[in-house]
Amino acid sequence: MTNGVAASYNVINYLTLKNPAFAGCTKGGRMVRKLAVLVTGLILLSGIVPLSSAVAQTEKPKIAPICKQCHTPDEKILRGVLGGISGKAKTIQVNIGAASWLAKWDDGTELVGAESFGKIPKEKEIAVHITEKDGALFVKKVSVKQPAKVPAEKLVKVEEVARLVELGVEKGNFLILDSRPAPRYHEGHIPTSISLYDADFDKLVDKLPKEKDRMLIFYCGGPT
Amino acid sequence: MMSPASAGKAEKLGYTNSKVFHDGLPAWKKAGNLVVSTAKYVKDNMDKEIPQILVDLRLVDEAKKEHITGAVSIPAKEISAAKDRLPADKKAPIVFYAADAKTAADAFKVVRGWGYTNTAILDGGIEAWKKAGNPLASGALKTTIVYVPKPRPGEIAIEEFKTVAEALPKDKLILDVRDEDEAMHGMLKGAKNISTQAIPGRLSEIPKDKEIIAHCVTGVRAEMAYLLLKEQGYKARFLNADIKIDKDGKYEITKE
Repeated sequence: MTNGVAASYNVINYLTLKNPAFAGCTKGGRMVRKLAVLVTGLILLSGIVPLSSAVAQTEKPKIAPICKQCHTPDEKILRGVLGGISGKAKTIQVNIGAASWLAKWDDGTELVGAESFGKIPKEKEIAVHITEKDGALFVKKVSVKQPAKVPAEKLVKVEEVARLVELGVEKGNFLILDSRPAPRYHEGHIPTSISLYDADFDKLVDKLPKEKDRMLIFYCGGPT
Repeated sequence: MMSPASAGKAEKLGYTNSKVFHDGLPAWKKAGNLVVSTAKYVKDNMDKEIPQILVDLRLVDEAKKEHITGAVSIPAKEISAAKDRLPADKKAPIVFYAADAKTAADAFKVVRGWGYTNTAILDGGIEAWKKAGNPLASGALKTTIVYVPKPRPGEIAIEEFKTVAEALPKDKLILDVRDEDEAMHGMLKGAKNISTQAIPGRLSEIPKDKEIIAHCVTGVRAEMAYLLLKEQGYKARFLNADIKIDKDGKYEITKE
C-alpha cells in the first residue's frame, strides 16, 4: 500500500469519527476505496478543512460549463456528472469538471428520470437540488438528464434515404445535409448531399433552401 | 451527435419538415450505396502524397487524350474481370471517374461488391476536376495499380504518442481538441482541452515553445486542429487513431 492510500484511509477514519454520515462507508472495502479517492479529491481541491464547512465552500463550481448552454447557474443546484452513489451510506458524489461534491440523500429524496438511485449510470449528467441540513449537504431532488431523443416520426432509415436519392432532389422535394466536418464530406458523402458542418451551422445557413416546408434530412457519422 | 443538433437548429429557423438520418454514413456505406468523393479530396491526397487509387473508366484512346494525373486505366467493360488487379487491402481508397456518372456508379457497385469499403465516384467527374483547375496529363496511362499505405502528414506514431502521454516531456503538450462536454468525462493526464473550433480564439493559451500533440476521438478533429496550428506557425502533430479515455485518464488506442 502506498503512503497516499494510507493517508486517505486515515482521513476517512477522521471523517467517520467526525461525521456519522460516513460511517456506513467503512464497511465495504470497495466503497472505502471509492471514498478514499473522493476524499483525496476533496482535500486536494479545498485544502484540509473540516467537513462541516463543505457547504460554505463557494469557490467550487456548482455548474459544469457545458450545462450553462441550457441552464442558468443556481446556488441550490449542482449540475455535473454522477461520480458515484452509495446505497448504504446514502451519499451521492457529483463531479463538476475537476471538482467534486458529496451530499447525503434519504428515502424522501425525489428522483426524476431514473428507476432508482442505483440505476443512474455513472458519468451520467445529473442535476442535484441541495439544501443544508445538520451542517452537511442534503439532496432534496435528483434529476437525470434524458437522452436527446429524436422522435420516431423524425427519423429516416437508410432504405428511405436511398429511395429519395434515386428519385432525385427536385422530384422528391428534399435536401440532404451532411453535418460532419467538411473534410469528411469531401472524402465521401451521400449523392446529392450538401456539406453543412454542424459547428459552422450559423455561418453556412444560406445553404438551406428558401422553402421552409422542404424536407431536410440531416446525417452525420457518429462521433469523430 | 451532430445531425440531431443541426435538425434542431433548422427547426428554430422555421423549417417545418426536418428529419434525421441517425444511422448516417456508416449505415449508408454498409448497405453498399453509392458514395461520392469531391475533386478537393482527390487533389488534397495528391498534394499530401496520400496514397489513393484513381481509376479512369473511359476507353483507352479517349483517356490518352486527357486524364487526371496519376489515374490508372481500366475501361468500364473490363472492370468485372479486374478483381486481381486491385490491392489486397480492402480499405484502400478507390475513386472512379468515367464519361458519365452512371458508368462510374456501375463500376462502383462491382468493386464495392468485392468488399472494397472505401470506394467512391468522383463528384462531377473529370469535368469538375478540370473546372477546378486541377492537373491533367496526356499520353499512355498506367494499367497496374500500386498501393502502399502510408501515414498522413503530421501523424504521430501510436507508440510515440503513448510515450509522450506517459512521460509528459516539458517540450510537448497534449491538446485534447474534443468539445468540453466530451472532455469533462475524462482526459489524459497533463492534457489541455481546447476544442478544434475554439482554437482560433484561444491561441494565447497554447504555448509556442512546445510541440503540440492533438487528439480527439477518431483523429478527424485532431487533424483539423493540427492544420490550424501549423498555419499559425506552431510545431504540431496529431493522433490519427481511435482513442477512448476513462474518467481516471486511462486510455485505449485502436487503429482500424
